[in-house]
Amino acid sequence: MFRKTLVLTLLIALLIGCAPAPSSEGTLPTTPAVDSAPTEVAATEAPTDEAAALTFTDGLGREVTLAAPAQRIVTLAPSLTEFVFAVGAGEQLVGRDELSDYPAEAADVASIGSTFGAVNSEAILALEPDLVLAAEINTPEQVQELESLGLTVYYLSNPLTYDELYEQVNLFGQFTGHEEEAAALAESLAARVEAVESAVATVTEKPTVFYEIDGTDPAKPWTTGPGTFMDTMISMAGGVNIGGVLSDSFAQISVEEIAAQDPNIILLGDTLYGVTIESIAERAGWADLTAVKEGRIFAFDDNLASRPSPRLVDGLEELLKVLHPELVVSQ
Amino acid sequence: MRRYPFLSSFLLLALALLLSLAIGSVFLPLRDIFASLQGNGSDLAENILWKIRLPRTVLIALTGMALGGSGAAYQGLFRNPLADPYLIGIASGAGLGAVVSMTVQWSYSFWGLMAIPLSAFVGALLTVTFVYFLARVGQTAPVTNLILAGVAVSSFATSLMSFIMLRSDGELRRAMSWLMGGAIQLGWTSVLAMLPYLILGLGTLSLHGHALNVLQFGDEQAQQLGLNVQRTKQVILVASSLATAAAVAFAGIIGFVGLVVPHIMRLWFGGDYRRLIPLSILGGATALLVSDVIARVVLAPQELPVGIVTALAGAPFFLWILRRTKTQGLW
Repeated sequence: MFRKTLVLTLLIALLIGCAPAPSSEGTLPTTPAVDSAPTEVAATEAPTDEAAALTFTDGLGREVTLAAPAQRIVTLAPSLTEFVFAVGAGEQLVGRDELSDYPAEAADVASIGSTFGAVNSEAILALEPDLVLAAEINTPEQVQELESLGLTVYYLSNPLTYDELYEQVNLFGQFTGHEEEAAALAESLAARVEAVESAVATVTEKPTVFYEIDGTDPAKPWTTGPGTFMDTMISMAGGVNIGGVLSDSFAQISVEEIAAQDPNIILLGDTLYGVTIESIAERAGWADLTAVKEGRIFAFDDNLASRPSPRLVDGLEELLKVLHPELVVSQ
Repeated sequence: MRRYPFLSSFLLLALALLLSLAIGSVFLPLRDIFASLQGNGSDLAENILWKIRLPRTVLIALTGMALGGSGAAYQGLFRNPLADPYLIGIASGAGLGAVVSMTVQWSYSFWGLMAIPLSAFVGALLTVTFVYFLARVGQTAPVTNLILAGVAVSSFATSLMSFIMLRSDGELRRAMSWLMGGAIQLGWTSVLAMLPYLILGLGTLSLHGHALNVLQFGDEQAQQLGLNVQRTKQVILVASSLATAAAVAFAGIIGFVGLVVPHIMRLWFGGDYRRLIPLSILGGATALLVSDVIARVVLAPQELPVGIVTALAGAPFFLWILRRTKTQGLW
């Protein structure tokens, strides 16, 4: 008996080991599970007078001091680039990571590489930045290296709620000296989220949603589990994430589970990677799903959910359009 | 070139070292390199050279030495042309150790950053020890048993590693970053931490060239020729394992170098282990340095993981040598 169990366990371990490693950043959102996120972001006290240094505590618990708002910024993650542009400080950005593709102006900023998890310290150093911004997609080792080169590095934890997102917008205002623009942005973001929430408050019927991150293997596509920002966004937009039954934040869900839960709506986060709405019905076992028969399959820009940037609010509005089109019209 | 194996190996290594110091995102001409080494360079050049290029170059060279030397020793010990330093579980053990320690949320501190390479080192040594005791029959550890136990334990450890990575998605990027590039970012700390094991391990191997020559006659004959076969094997195993484990812990799992460099040296300079071991040590450093330079420039400012380059550039090169030499009976 014991032997049998052992053999079975080994087999399972082997099978799982053979699954494709989710390595490509494009297909795997970087928002981590709630429990693995490091300490919360907290900007410690604002300066007493204008000339005084700005001191912040970053996501690794490090003290980061800026003598003045940063004028030469390097961002190590696409979300950070979006933040900088969102608060109107795009002019102060001198370097960005390879994957930063939004807004379009980001393409004009020098790339410092970093696609395989390694940032190019030499290229960063050569830009002589006064502030390097890192995110959870970067590792503590990278922060340490840049710090040892004498650079000022701030490590931003991913926001876990919209309230934290607004705080981070204001933080970027302080980093860049664009406090007023940031405050206005934070306010408008909050108003937009509130508008969605009050619209959804009246909803009684909540559609079930299957969100596909990567359907390379249609027998067990990658989806978003409980506790991710996408999971939160789906419920805020008045839906139910069928991936909520999984035990990991990002995992492969069995197509049988999808059939059993029979979602009302299928969202494809992988249309940028070649999956088409038409191809869904051709997958074995998918044609009988309610969402497929009713044609409720939609493409969804995964960057609006996987990048912890102000565009998370755009994502929420997009979700509302898909989940409750009737509410959007009445707005 | 073949008449002066050591002279030519040293010259090639010197050339590779210079290349590695000169080439990167920022090109440093020879003049600047020498000025910076003497402390007369520009701030940027000195910072890049002393804090990024030099520690990285030394670390890569040391890693290449460990892989080349251990590879040659393993091929001699197992009398098997397919043997490489990872044959009996070092790489998978190190990977497992590293990934296990990544499930802990280490604080941002010296020991927090060192925790991963240290547990990789421990994981590698534990795995090899485990394999050795599994393979032991009485007082001897037959080569076939070692290889089979090594392959089985490796597969098991690799699968377990994939499983843990799958379950702890928050730290995935850190795990991927370590697996593909090691802890090179820790700079001189990494170099100092691995140095003692390399000196001890590679020094011992270099002194066992004659013993490896005798071992080629087979265990029984070697015993009759007056060699303490079991003891010699143990010493060689321990020495190679220490060197490889230290290299893998800090540089990540880099394939192919340990397999191919000893073969190239054998094809060029013959199969006498008294020369083959030190030549493979030098050749390993050269090969890995050149691969690392290629990895830096191909997609600059992005960097490729060096392990991709070693096989992509190394395999054709090796086949070319193999075809050109057309020698038979080296084994």
